[in-house]
Amino acid sequence: MKQLVAITINTFKETIRDRVLAVIVVFALLMIAGGLWLGSISLGEQGRMIKDFGLVAVSGFGLIVAVFVAASLVHKEVEKRTVFVLFSKPVSRAAFIAGKFIGLCGTMAVVLAGMGLFLFALVWIVAGEASGMVLLAVLMIYVQLLAVVAVTIFFSTMGSAILAAVLGICVFVAGQLSHNVLALTRLGRNPVTEALSWVVYVIVPNFSAMDVKAGAVGEQTLAWGRIGLWTAYILAYVVVVLALAALVFRRKEF
Amino acid sequence: MTVQDGEAIRSGAATSAQSRAAVLVRDLHKTVAVGFLRRQVEILRGVDLVVDRGEVFGLLGPNGAGKTTTVKVALGLMRPTSGSVQLDVEGLGRVGYLPENPYFYDYLSGREFLGFCARLFGLDAAARHERVEALLCDVSLVDAAGTHLRKYSKGMLQRIGIAQALINDPELVLLDEPMTGLDPVGRVEVKRIIERLHERGKTVMFNSHILSDVHELCSRIAIMRSGRVIWQGTIDEALDEAPSLEDFFMKVVTS
Repeated sequence: MKQLVAITINTFKETIRDRVLAVIVVFALLMIAGGLWLGSISLGEQGRMIKDFGLVAVSGFGLIVAVFVAASLVHKEVEKRTVFVLFSKPVSRAAFIAGKFIGLCGTMAVVLAGMGLFLFALVWIVAGEASGMVLLAVLMIYVQLLAVVAVTIFFSTMGSAILAAVLGICVFVAGQLSHNVLALTRLGRNPVTEALSWVVYVIVPNFSAMDVKAGAVGEQTLAWGRIGLWTAYILAYVVVVLALAALVFRRKEF
Repeated sequence: MTVQDGEAIRSGAATSAQSRAAVLVRDLHKTVAVGFLRRQVEILRGVDLVVDRGEVFGLLGPNGAGKTTTVKVALGLMRPTSGSVQLDVEGLGRVGYLPENPYFYDYLSGREFLGFCARLFGLDAAARHERVEALLCDVSLVDAAGTHLRKYSKGMLQRIGIAQALINDPELVLLDEPMTGLDPVGRVEVKRIIERLHERGKTVMFNSHILSDVHELCSRIAIMRSGRVIWQGTIDEALDEAPSLEDFFMKVVTS
């Protein structure tokens, strides 16, 4: 447990002190502020445009941070041979994987909280609306990204960092679309494509079950029970993927 | 702790002949797959080695002889293909290790890095502070303790590496090329550290190409070539056969 805490703190320091992260966050804030301009050219929908555009920016930049940082976390330790120092001490491979994940989740929480509060303040100042739904939507985006971080760490234990990042993005996109793709293939009545899309639907996390952005901009009512169930599903998914990552990493030699 | 055929297992009752061994390597083989075609390369071809408790032991050999691989297998960083390594300690909690050409976390200061290593051994805050400050003093890095490791010179990294290897006050210390990159002052300091460890009854095993340091510090040595130990004995036995350790080493590895 103490090893897990040590690796978590170290990973948090590693990721939060990364200068590239600061640059990405600055760009994200500029992009969110760009919603002001879009809002100004929309007719009477300024608040909605800022929220919509802002949440897309939070999701997009959150994804960039999640995927690229997660992909390099394990890979960098192996490449730079800091694993020699770690695993010559009483540190289990499972604690290493879990510590890396939790540490990055801490950094993601700081980044998304910053972006979320900035968007919340913008909506409040411009549209005069203290929208708690915006903060809830950012929280749901955070939960989605936890699954992406776990999947990317899993891929990074098997291959290169770039491949892990690409696969992480693929899983995020597939998670958004898998439900609709499955529905479409069922209409086509082709058993092969239907079976394939069913496999993808089962393997990737189902993000489409929770359209948080639609809820935040008032297009959909969000039920707390549904949110809780979906969050529990994503967290269970994360635990399974991290257990698989630890299993793969356990067999690795340095 | 015993590493055998890929798994760490509990030590059984040691025989009397083995009871004073801090490290016991028996018929250790390691084969790795190399390249796209997964060509099998045998790195270790039956290493037999005994390091006694409380001695300073030098593991010598030309590049590619298998010294680092032997140490990595002992620490569980690699799995043996066959054979076993038995360490006279319970788990890795009483082992210290300095890898060759160490690289540490750029974004941490020297003090933070040692604190992190101390946390990995479960030291509480007070013990951590005491141990970290004492080691920073031992390796003469007190003035640079707050500087990020990315600004450290090679010699400073080597010294912080030695400090992290000693953070848990280990009974067995494995050092891979500890003198590499050090200036004469740094080398003297590291030699004094190894001497102090010896005086305190710790077992030290180190790999080195600097034979004068080996001569000065070690009581016994082993020489490896092509994945095997081809000679093992005391420094005095080596010097009986050649005028200097360098001459003896050349004689053994070229024979």
